[in-house]
Amino acid sequence: MIKSNLIYKYVLSLLLVLMVFLPLVVKSSFVLEILVRILLFAFIGTAWNLLGGYAKQLSLGHSAFFGLGAYTSTLLQIDLGISPWIGMVVGGGVGLLASLPIGWLCFRLKGPYFTISTIATANVLMLIFLKFRDLAWGAEGTTIPNLGNAPLMMQFDNKVPYYYILLGLLIIALTITAWIERSRMGYYLIALGEDEDAAEASGVDVVKVKRNIYMISAFLTALAGTFYTQYIYFIDPQTAFNFNVSIEAALVSIVGGIGTLWGPVIGTVLLETTTILLQSYLGNSIGGIQLTVYSLILMAVILVRPTGIVGYFKEKSQARSST
Amino acid sequence: MLETVLQAVVNGLLIGGIYALVSIGVTLIFGVVKIVNFAQGEFVMIGMYISYYLSTQFGIDPVVSVLISMPILFVAGVLIQHYLIRRVLGLNDLPQIFLTFALSLLITNLSLMFFTANYRTIHTWYSDEALHLGGIYIPYAKLVSFVLAMVLSGALWLFLRSTDLGKAMRAASQNRDVAQLMGINPNRVFAVALGIALALAGAAGSLLMPFYPAYPMVGQVFVLMAFVAVVLGTLGNVLGALVASLLMGVAESLGIQFVGADSGLIVVFVLLLVTLALKPSGLAGGWRK
Repeated sequence: MIKSNLIYKYVLSLLLVLMVFLPLVVKSSFVLEILVRILLFAFIGTAWNLLGGYAKQLSLGHSAFFGLGAYTSTLLQIDLGISPWIGMVVGGGVGLLASLPIGWLCFRLKGPYFTISTIATANVLMLIFLKFRDLAWGAEGTTIPNLGNAPLMMQFDNKVPYYYILLGLLIIALTITAWIERSRMGYYLIALGEDEDAAEASGVDVVKVKRNIYMISAFLTALAGTFYTQYIYFIDPQTAFNFNVSIEAALVSIVGGIGTLWGPVIGTVLLETTTILLQSYLGNSIGGIQLTVYSLILMAVILVRPTGIVGYFKEKSQARSST
Repeated sequence: MLETVLQAVVNGLLIGGIYALVSIGVTLIFGVVKIVNFAQGEFVMIGMYISYYLSTQFGIDPVVSVLISMPILFVAGVLIQHYLIRRVLGLNDLPQIFLTFALSLLITNLSLMFFTANYRTIHTWYSDEALHLGGIYIPYAKLVSFVLAMVLSGALWLFLRSTDLGKAMRAASQNRDVAQLMGINPNRVFAVALGIALALAGAAGSLLMPFYPAYPMVGQVFVLMAFVAVVLGTLGNVLGALVASLLMGVAESLGIQFVGADSGLIVVFVLLLVTLALKPSGLAGGWRK
């Protein structure tokens, strides 16, 4: 067991080094774009996994924080000329603060009705940004002024820096997750995820634990929102509060392995690879094919092995070590 | 002023009848099978496309095509219960929520592939006709769909009240274990519940077709509306869902009239969130066991 853990760690460190040096070898901007997508959703999935995977609060409204992060940094940049680097952190703070009222509301509900209420809050936010034009450009949205290569304004003339920003964010999110896993809070979370009533009866402050993990999850998701807006140079309510962000955050975690450190990363790699294969065989012409395949994979995972890919290997290695 | 309010209320009640068909389905599945069906709106969409093709290919009136869409969706419901939902019963939240959610994604995106994102509408001979009552304007298409929606809801209510199968269904929703001890076959009851719920969604779709465009994402509007109504009307309660749906229709319509054309949904979501904030125990209590 100890030996396999060591191998696991070596493999991961090797992988990390490989990821750091990858852009030195990979020059194709097509491949880099794919890598950016993978890192982005691995990061959002890791953020979602803290709440959805460990605490088993199955949110489908994480686009709320993605959108708030995106709008906060963009408003700061365009109205006040503040760098998105600062805007990103402020946006994270806005997401974190927003998670308090949203959590207060949604955590009153359990199971499917928690999920529905998170969908509703994200939708309300989107409708607010659509409806109130004075707030931020209404339905038309706005483009981010292109400054060329301006690292201080989080704008670059090639994709490599974007790749490193995301790699950094992902490493931070994974470190936080690993740290939480080992902390007292991690045990509380797992107890909460297994059986909320039992956890509460054993003295876990369920309300506080849920609130805290939601704040962390929301903060990280909001960072991704800022990044994405800077990356595509455009923002409108439909992209910022895109329901697909909420879906994919949950999907990559569930497919990869809910409540595991590496689950979202593995899930993203698998799903995004599927997308690329689909696109190379069928082209981009057929709308809806990507989510059709995703939903089939999701169904298969749920019906065959609800613990996901990582869960499957964990069970296997546990079965082996116990015999 | 009074006339404007009355007109908005009438409009709301008319569309509320359709919401009722969808919500009753959601609440029936929830009450009997203890599953929240995230895909209910997609079955409304399927009902719409069935009527659309029957109308454009064979000239069958959408209201008449209820007779075809309902049986098709009934069978679909039985199959979905048997092959999919049965396999996640008794498991935890994750598979229960994400199975029907995946189904919803699958159906929406398959429709996107096969039907494209274009809006489809049917024009019937009564599409532009309306009844004038005083100053109030009641389009025939909406009136017919409302009346039929009420008839179907009433029929379901009678079915649950007075037939053996209906009583078995109510028994299973009150206490599954005891119902099973009394000799009720839960699998059969669940399959019928799914069948009826989907048939109602199909009927809603067909009845919508004369005055509402069909497109792959159309189900989202109806399923969200249904969730709100089901929560407001107490989970698992058919009559509650009916009354709440009519209220929702009116609330949405008043929102459109007095806040702005694009604010109908805001009103509905805010209603949902306010309900959740004020009456959470009534929602979470009683159904999580």
